[in-house]
Amino acid sequence: MADGASGSAERSVQVKLVLLGEAAVGKSSVVLRFVSNEFQANKEPTIGAAFLTQKCRLEDRVLRYEIWDTAGQERFHSLAPMYYRNAQAAVVVYDVTKASSLEKAKTWVKELQRQANPNIVIALAGNKVDLVQPSSSSPASPSPEGEEEADDATATPGEGAAAEPESLRQVPREEAEAYAQEAGLLFFETSAKTGEGIVEIFTEIAKKIPIEQILASSRGAGRAGAAGGRTSGQEGAVNLEENASKGRDACNC
Amino acid sequence: MSACPRGASRSLCKTRFHLEYLHLQILSVISAEQLRRMFERRMNFDLRRLLSGAEPLMHSLLTRIEWDLAMSTSSLHCLKVEPMLRKSIADALVPTSKIKDILYVILVAEERVITLVRPKKHSIHPSDLHVLINTIHAPSIMNSSAAASWLPVCLPKYNGSAFVNAYVMFLRRDAEMQPSQKDGDVESSPQAGPTTSSSVQSNVPKPSREICLMCVSGSADFEAVRSWCDTASQRLTNDGLLLALSDAMDRRETEYTVADLGIPGLRHFVYKSRPNVQVTMPLFEDPYDDLKERRRLITLYQRLYDAIHAKSGQGSTLKLQYIRTERESVMGWITQFFELYIALSPRLPKSAAINAANAVARWVQKEDKRLFLRDAPVF
Repeated sequence: MADGASGSAERSVQVKLVLLGEAAVGKSSVVLRFVSNEFQANKEPTIGAAFLTQKCRLEDRVLRYEIWDTAGQERFHSLAPMYYRNAQAAVVVYDVTKASSLEKAKTWVKELQRQANPNIVIALAGNKVDLVQPSSSSPASPSPEGEEEADDATATPGEGAAAEPESLRQVPREEAEAYAQEAGLLFFETSAKTGEGIVEIFTEIAKKIPIEQILASSRGAGRAGAAGGRTSGQEGAVNLEENASKGRDACNC
Repeated sequence: MSACPRGASRSLCKTRFHLEYLHLQILSVISAEQLRRMFERRMNFDLRRLLSGAEPLMHSLLTRIEWDLAMSTSSLHCLKVEPMLRKSIADALVPTSKIKDILYVILVAEERVITLVRPKKHSIHPSDLHVLINTIHAPSIMNSSAAASWLPVCLPKYNGSAFVNAYVMFLRRDAEMQPSQKDGDVESSPQAGPTTSSSVQSNVPKPSREICLMCVSGSADFEAVRSWCDTASQRLTNDGLLLALSDAMDRRETEYTVADLGIPGLRHFVYKSRPNVQVTMPLFEDPYDDLKERRRLITLYQRLYDAIHAKSGQGSTLKLQYIRTERESVMGWITQFFELYIALSPRLPKSAAINAANAVARWVQKEDKRLFLRDAPVF
């Protein structure tokens, strides 16, 4: 596979990605942060779906995300297959301050696993994590301690301001993480407001995408045959291995 | 609610008009078919659940309807553009025969239509167009950083029981909001940093300077529509048409003032070309740049409209209606070819109003090709 990688180093790979999740969990804000590094408070609800693109550099590859940011309202649900049908990746978003939104996220995951492309890479993102962090320290990037053990951190006594935001949390990190692991999803807690975890989602997805397969299938039959066809799990594995040694923030958009 | 100057029937008529439009906007979101089924199943169905997220559309529609004379005259409002430019743009937007199920291709700027390319077999109903224009100017679409939006929408007058899809692409955003935005520049980099959007949503009609390409398709094949629209917008850019249009807008050539007509005492007018179902009007200038004044004038125009169309239960329609108040005199006049509403200084005699109306009609007919969309290509 290494020869394939070097042979098409500057080819940009198109990755179709869809965002799903309950209304008002912050799907559009997550995308806006990723695409424009902006945040708008009180965003109006998305109507239909918005289409955005963002390039993302991963090692010697350029990925071009074609992003479908869908409306979360129930009446748009039936349109979702149109967006995830050909998607290579999905970000399913819930709101850490709203337990029901995780349940909705789970139904989306089920639907994707049943009906979407079998190789689809799914990430679960618990958004609005800024709301459950002490306001004094809302880090824009992962904190130096590494693991974000917000639950434990805010348990420290004496900080009134810290205790209050945590009480907004309705979805414990462990619960969502355990679910994600069980369902085979990437998992992140994010804040579109502060930027926390946003680039990481797209970077980790990029690492997991079977780029060689996408390239092979777009390159045509001859090359696809040489690469072992669509069902080869090997290529994905090689990529993961390659990237495992790399530090985070490899997605150098 | 604004002032309904006289009589219950007039305000009833106005309320009914607002409700009808609101109904159309609701249908555009959930379709008449779905609405009917909901209420068949449960008479006391709470519509708010189905409409959640669409509230901004309702609010903007209600604001729009108060001020938009194209809506109250059930007509299409065209942008004033040089005929050659309009024709070239239209030619660039004719879909190839390869792409199926295209219904309308519409280029809109300043919330007015530059051109509308449609199939031979059907035209667009003005109220469908107003609902579309209202929808695409919803903040979540217009202010979004998205390259495009894809909206399922029901056009009630076209087909109340089905959805079509609208591909919406802003070729130019409001220059005041994003001074650096270049046409078609959709791949901004995250390093660009946060730009503070200072758009304050107020209740006044603001001149918007966007250019929006909209393609309404009966098919759900997004990729086909997108690739065609990308090609079409590329063509507009490469042929310099987008720049020409953009420049014309920046030089304010897409609007005009009553001063351009040089008719003494004339303050404002609304001219509707009946064969074209299109309306044209100059800018609202002093004293009507003031919103209170403008509202008064619009209310007067509506009274004239009611009178000549017998909308408020009058026994018969009128050909001509003249009203003088201490602030202005207004006159409505309907012929086979046009409806005309003019506002003049109250000091002028009625005969001057008649002369002014004739002069306006002559001027509009002379400028016809710039002011109206005529002979747009069909396919």
